[in-house]
Amino acid sequence: MALILAVDDSPSMRKMVSFTLTGAGYQVVEAVDGVDAFEKAQAQSFDLVLTDQNMPRLDGLGLTRKLREHPQFKNTPILVLTTESSDLMKQAGRAAGATGWLVKPFDPARLLAVIKKVIN
Amino acid sequence: MQSNHTTSSIPVVQLPVVLVADVQDSLLVVVHDLNRLDSLLAHTMTNLLERFTVASANLADPALVNSVELNAVRSALTAAVTELQFQDMASQLIAHTSKILQGCAYRLAAESMGSEDGEAVPFVENVPDRPNPVTQDEMDAGSIELF
Repeated sequence: MALILAVDDSPSMRKMVSFTLTGAGYQVVEAVDGVDAFEKAQAQSFDLVLTDQNMPRLDGLGLTRKLREHPQFKNTPILVLTTESSDLMKQAGRAAGATGWLVKPFDPARLLAVIKKVIN
Repeated sequence: MQSNHTTSSIPVVQLPVVLVADVQDSLLVVVHDLNRLDSLLAHTMTNLLERFTVASANLADPALVNSVELNAVRSALTAAVTELQFQDMASQLIAHTSKILQGCAYRLAAESMGSEDGEAVPFVENVPDRPNPVTQDEMDAGSIELF
């Protein structure tokens, strides 16, 4: 089954994401911010990255840009899961190389459907 | 309270120092209370997550995993995932509001009292220069956009 990197500085959000994804059979590696995620992404390959936007040290868009610079993550789906819902932020996400923009809170069934779609 | 005009024609309101100090104190008390609210929410969320983990682990027991009678419980637990994201959003709302109020309190002091009698101007906290990122006012699932 696919391996997903879930990035969020909120422990409760990481828990909800992991519960949803592992329940659907995905393997999940958690990261607490963009720096932690980038370090983990250098150590192993992931089939999808699901990241928060507003985080300390390195935010979701910064992480997306850094990952896109690596050939290994050039085509990896990167979904931003955030409270940010403005068109300006979505445009910034798209420009950074994100695959999609999901506004919190997420519905488990809809999240799984999107992940299945972009991974395939 | 008096009002006059400076040489640059910007209206200036003069307030009693005691009033300014009271307003600043009130703002800082509200910031403190918001921080306590944030701690309460975080503590509640920690406990909720523990109970959530126990419940989901019990339902995953091989002896129960095929129990049709527990399907409704599993569905309810899964549906609760959306509502259980409230603490993350509330925490961001509180943090943003606290920064604004704290910035107002320090700025009020700096503008009205800091430069009197050669006193140093208090440090002015940076007020967020953009709107609160959390615009949701209910816990319905958010939008999804694929690029």
